[in-house]
Order: sequence, then structure tokens, then C-alpha cells
Amino acid sequence: MNRSLDYLFGTAVGDRGEDAQGVISLVRQWAEKEVIGNRLDYQRNYAVLFEEKARVLALSMGLQRLALPEGQGGFGWHDPGHVADVAAVLSEVGRADSSTGVLLAMNYALFSILTRFSEGRAGLVEAMTASYLDDELKIPSCALPGPGSMGRETPLYKGRSIPALVESRDSGPTLSGANIRPLAAGLRADLFLAVCAEEKGRPCIALVPGDNPGIERGSEVLTTGLNALANADISFVETEITQESLIKKPEAVPMLFTLLNLFLGGVSLGAGMNFFEILGGWSDSRVIGGSTPLKENPLCASVLADVAEDIACSRLLLEDLARLVSPSGRAWSLDTEGQYTYAVMIGARIQKGIMRAINRGMELMGSAGYAKEWHAEKHWRDVKTIQSLLCGVGAEAPVKMDTARFFYDCREI
Amino acid sequence: MDHFDEFSRPLEYLSPLDKHLRTVLRKYIEQEVMPLRRRYDEDWKEHALIEPAFDRIMGGLGLQKALFPQEYGGWGLAGSDYIFRFAYQLCEELGRADTGMAVALAVTFWPLLVIHLEPYVNERLIAEFAPMFCGTNKAVFAANAMTEPQGGSDIENMGLLKGRTIHTTARLEGDQWVINGHKLWPTNSGGAASLFGVPCTTRPGSADTDDFAFIYVPADAKGVTQGGPYEKAGMAADKNGDIWFDDVRVPVWYRAHGPGRDAEAFYQLISFGQVASTAFLTGAMMNVYERLYEFVSTRTYRNRPLKENDAVAGVIGRIAGDIDICRILGHEAAMMGDRRNTPYGLPLVSEELVGKIRNIKDFVSDRAVENLGKAMDVLGCYGPDRDWDIEKHWRDIKIIQLWMGGKQLCQMESARYFFNCETL
Repeated sequence: MNRSLDYLFGTAVGDRGEDAQGVISLVRQWAEKEVIGNRLDYQRNYAVLFEEKARVLALSMGLQRLALPEGQGGFGWHDPGHVADVAAVLSEVGRADSSTGVLLAMNYALFSILTRFSEGRAGLVEAMTASYLDDELKIPSCALPGPGSMGRETPLYKGRSIPALVESRDSGPTLSGANIRPLAAGLRADLFLAVCAEEKGRPCIALVPGDNPGIERGSEVLTTGLNALANADISFVETEITQESLIKKPEAVPMLFTLLNLFLGGVSLGAGMNFFEILGGWSDSRVIGGSTPLKENPLCASVLADVAEDIACSRLLLEDLARLVSPSGRAWSLDTEGQYTYAVMIGARIQKGIMRAINRGMELMGSAGYAKEWHAEKHWRDVKTIQSLLCGVGAEAPVKMDTARFFYDCREI
Repeated sequence: MDHFDEFSRPLEYLSPLDKHLRTVLRKYIEQEVMPLRRRYDEDWKEHALIEPAFDRIMGGLGLQKALFPQEYGGWGLAGSDYIFRFAYQLCEELGRADTGMAVALAVTFWPLLVIHLEPYVNERLIAEFAPMFCGTNKAVFAANAMTEPQGGSDIENMGLLKGRTIHTTARLEGDQWVINGHKLWPTNSGGAASLFGVPCTTRPGSADTDDFAFIYVPADAKGVTQGGPYEKAGMAADKNGDIWFDDVRVPVWYRAHGPGRDAEAFYQLISFGQVASTAFLTGAMMNVYERLYEFVSTRTYRNRPLKENDAVAGVIGRIAGDIDICRILGHEAAMMGDRRNTPYGLPLVSEELVGKIRNIKDFVSDRAVENLGKAMDVLGCYGPDRDWDIEKHWRDIKIIQLWMGGKQLCQMESARYFFNCETL
């Protein structure tokens, strides 16, 4: 393939500032030099190398500081005006490794939320920013509402169970909730961004330091993908947090969902684009019927076309979603609820599109698509993991209910 | 529905062994395989956990003897009129626990069928290989070394290419065949198999099926080199690797049947492989149903069981409905194979039978890939969790869609029959 991904999958490069373009170029170099060029080493010693490569990206290249406030040593990309840039950067990271992308996505969501609702918690913002400036890889973890358990009635967020409850006590807010499954990284997270419910059942977000003595972690959960972000169930046992660590604004939880759908959409898109590259190389070099290159066989070409179409459409949707969420998106006249609905709807569509592209492309690669050596299967497992995590529960049912509620004013679903 | 066994299948198609074998096998599997299968992924190379389970099922229970005639210590099932249906039930039961184990067992039958199925029976070779499989309580594997580095699926496209693209050569020298070539990906390679069935050409580039040779090669023959197993997305119980044949010499009578008949006997394997593949899939799907049933009954949406929500019910209803339909189709495919010697049946080498069975396998593969992905999504954040088993099946069954020429070859074989295509 002799044309660039940017050329093939048209992007609004013109809308991007010079700084953003510079960061994207740097990340692309990191992806190609540090990861994509060394896939086999990465495969064989994934856990150790993940840490190494993620540290280079997050610390040496400064991506951990990207979303920190500008005046405090960061680059200020927590600002909503930068969401499209963040999504583009995460695509570049996802092209190399989805686990690293998800780690950074949770990091950027954390600072976007924290700074958006910074009123009354300047001290917390400052302290957290300072800690992210340390020469230490930070691992945040998000715990979202999801499936509930029979016999354990919980407050709900749009039908999804909120497993953690926060109680106001004289000593301050106290969290409780057992066996909560975070999105990823529960085993080692140094900060939890947990959706919980206050006494009246209203959803809010609690920021809980990982070393809080009230957190109990289960053993490592083996998962399909995102294997570098070892996960574990967590329990909050009378976990005391500070008042400023509790974000009660009603728009906070929808905003967290919105950002995660956008950012994780970026990660999966990147994985899809790298899969496209792998498949392109395969279809150039393999033959069918003894001598015909795969890509010149009409049936195979039609599969290749489906793959390209799904990735191209996902990229366009991601850029539209980013525009919709950014300040210029206000022109769309959408309130927080509208942005949330579009985000979950488009987010699900992007994950589905990328998953379909990889599934179809693997058909052409035969068993090689399944071998770790070719790396296609890693993207397949990672994106499927992200897709299932974002669905929440019941496949797309909650997303469909969100969509119907917004467009048709449903009240009972 | 009270039990996964109630998924539909034509009861009049069941083999005489069905009830007994399912009972015994299920007990073995639930004791020996299911409790350990979540640890199989890490065991892909050593088979420290997997091998003892194989020993008990293949050697101890004796399944590896099933094809061989009773006079050689076997069960004589290759000569029965229900070998396809027997294989279906076996593969479905094993597939419910672990499709990797199921394929390793079924592929052991695969090259042996070339010399067992009427009208292509080679008594001398049966007698030669019977002790290897019938005289031990340890698991013994065979492999069909088909795929080659370039254009792997072409070898399975016998209908059109007739072996023209095979690079592995067989040269006759005195009373020996001398084999040279490189194969990759066979199930039970990577050091597992004791015996290979090797499709070769006696005249490279020839599309004359007389030049296609199917020759047996013991894995310990001089000149055979095997690479270690590949690391894959799943199917840890199925080892795959490279095999190099470097001036490997075997007796002349290790060729299955001779010019022309080798190609016909080999072509019969395609449909057997597709029927077994369909059985792996329906077995896996039924276990996914079991696990999904537990999840949607014990987990909630809006504080009610997931399964009682209309929208979720729409998703899981479709999944179960598809399993039901796929199982009927799978049994129909097996029955097509078993009708081969009846006046109303079709020979295994007929384009109609190959096309129709490939079509069923393609359809069931697609349904399985889609439904298992959906099932993972139903579990949401628990979908990728190995403890729920669904993700294991999701990873494992993807390769079933990809192997044996993959989806596109299935589509072409179907088109070739249904539309009388001549150049595909």
C-alpha cells in the first residue's frame, strides 16, 4: 500500500492546530518505531514491554500531562475545544496498542471531568495535577453502572445498576459497594473514577485514591483483550472520601459516558486502521487459485471493500461526534442529554463498525488472522473487549433505550 | 425449556449410539474438561493439563479406535451407516466443553477416513496403522498435512484446482515414495501427531487428479521436522505448526489408493470436515446458551432479571432461535453424509453434496460468530471475563469460520453448485 492512512481515510486535518498536528505526528512515530516495528517482541513479552512503551509515551513524551491544566504544568487538553485532538491522538495510540489507548482515555476523561467541575475543588485539582507530573505512570480506572444482581436492588442510571452508594456522614462522604467490575485496570489502579448514587439515588462521581484503606481488590480477572490493564473486582468497604472528591452535578455522569464513548471510539478506530494496514499487506502478497493476488479476486475485493467502508464510516462518525461534543458543537443545539444520546449511539456504531471490519477482514487471512504472529487477532480481541465494556449490559439494549428515550420521549423504559 | 438438550434435532436421524455415548462422554467431559478449561489458554504449549484429559477421553474411553474394524481392536464405525452422525454427536458434545479438543479428536479421524470409507478401503494400511491407535490407552493423534505457505486454501479447492497448486512432491524411487515439501497449520502438528496424511503431487503444476497422491508419513520418519506450536487467539488444545518433509522415504504402499482414487478419497474428507466443524459450532453455541441463561436469570436491568426485559429478550431470543435452527441444519448435513451409499443419497465426491454441506457450515459459522459476539455484549463488562466461558467460545470458534478454505471458498463452492459456475 503506497498511500497514507490520512489520504485514504480523509480527515479534517485543516481544522487541527499546529500543536495538535505536532503531537499526532510524534505519537505516530512512537507507534511505528516503538511498537508496530517490534510486534514480535511485543507479543512475546507483552506485560513488561507494555509498561516500558507506555512509560515512554506517557512520561518521556509527556502524554500523561496532555490533559492537565496549562498553568500547572500541563498542556491544557482537558479543554472541550481539544476533544477532537484527543480522539485523534488516541487513534494513533490505538493503532499501536489498545491497552495504552484505554489507559490514556481514562486519564483524559478524568481530567476533563475534574476540570469541568473544578468549582470548589481547586485544591484537589492542584494536588492531582501535581501527582500526574511525577515521573510515575498513573493508572486511573473507571467503574460505570452496569448489570445488577438479583436480590440486590440498586439505584439506576438510565436502567443500568449503580452498584456503589455514597452516604453523607459527619466524617464526610462514605462509599460502599461490593464486587464492582471496573472497565479495566482494577488490579493496579491508583485512582478510581466510580459512578455511585447518593442517598436520593441520584448518580454522581466519586474520585477514590487507590491506596484508600477502604478499597478491597479481588484477584485478577482474565479477560479477552486489553490484557496489559489487569482488571479485578473492587469493593468499597466504608470507604471515606473527601467532600471535594464527590462530583454531584447532574451533568457529570452523562459527560463521563460521552467522553468515554468518544475517546474509546478513537482507540478502537486506531486498532481498526492498523488492522486495515495488516490486511492490505496480506492481500498484496497472497494468492488465490495459484497465481491471482487476493485483492484481484472479485469476491475477496468485495470483502476488502466492506472493511474499508466500515473503517472510513467509523472515522467520519468519530469526527462528527468530536465536533458535536466540542464548544463549536453548541451550534447543534444539543444539551447535555442530547450530547450523551448521540455519544452512546455513535459510540456503539463505531465499535460495531470496527468490530465488523476486523471480523470480515480476518476471513481473508484464514488461519493467519488467528495467529498471534500477525497481530490481527490482538486488535480483534481488544476491540471486542472495548465494545462489550461500553455496551454496559444487555448488548445494545441500554443504548437503544437511551436513543428511544431521547427521540421519542419514552418515559417507562 | 428445561435443558439445552431440547434444542431441536431430527430424532429419527440419531445414531444408535447417541444416547449411550452422549451419557458416557458428557460425564467424562464434565469431570475432566470443564473444570479445567479456563486454564487451557496458558497451557497452549506444554499441554500439561490438556494431555491427561486427551488420554482419558481418546485412549481411556477409546474414541481414537472408533474407525478401525473390530478385528483390529476398533469399534468398526467407519463401516457403519452412521459414521457422520456419530462424528456429529461426538464433536458436538466435546465442542460444548472445548472446541479445540473436539477438533484434535476429529482430525485424528480425518486422514484415517481416506482408507476406511467405502468404496475407498485399504485393508493393508488399516492393518498397518491399527496397532498405533488401538493398542494403547494413551492418546494418539493423526494429522492431515494439507495447507502450504502460499494460497493455503487452494489445496482444499479440489473441485476447481484439482491439486494444481500443490508444491509438496512425491517421487517414486524403487519401492519407496520420496517426499519433499513444507506444510503448515495442520491440526495436531506442533509435535502432537504420530501420523500424517500428506497430499502431494507426483507432477508439479499438473491439474490431472491422477497426479495427486495422498501418502501416509509416520511423524518419526527420517527427514520429518516439526516446528513448535503457534500461539493463537484461542483453541489451545489444538496444536498447529510447520512441518518440513526433506527427502522423507516411506514404503510405496503407504500411498492411500493410487492415481485418481487418491483425489476422490481425499475429496470425501472435505464434507466430513465441514460436518464436524458444524458440530463444534453447535456444541459451543449450546454451552453459550447455558452460560447466558445463568447470566440473564441472575443479573438485572432496571432491577429486574435481564431476560424479563423486552429489549434484552429480543436479543437472547434470537440467539437461542439461531442455535435451534443451526442444530437442525447440522444434523441434516451429517445425514447427507450418511446417505452416501443409499439410492437416494449422493456420493461424497458429488459437487451437489460438497456445495450443500459447505453452505450449511458457512451459514452456521456466520450465525455462531455473530451470536457469540452478541452474547458477550449481553454480559457487558462481564463479557470479556473468562469465568463466564462465553468469551472463550467466542475466541475459539472464529477459526472454524476461517479454516478449510474459509468463508470465501464455502461461498464459491455453493455458487458453483447452485448456479453451475464453471470458472470459480
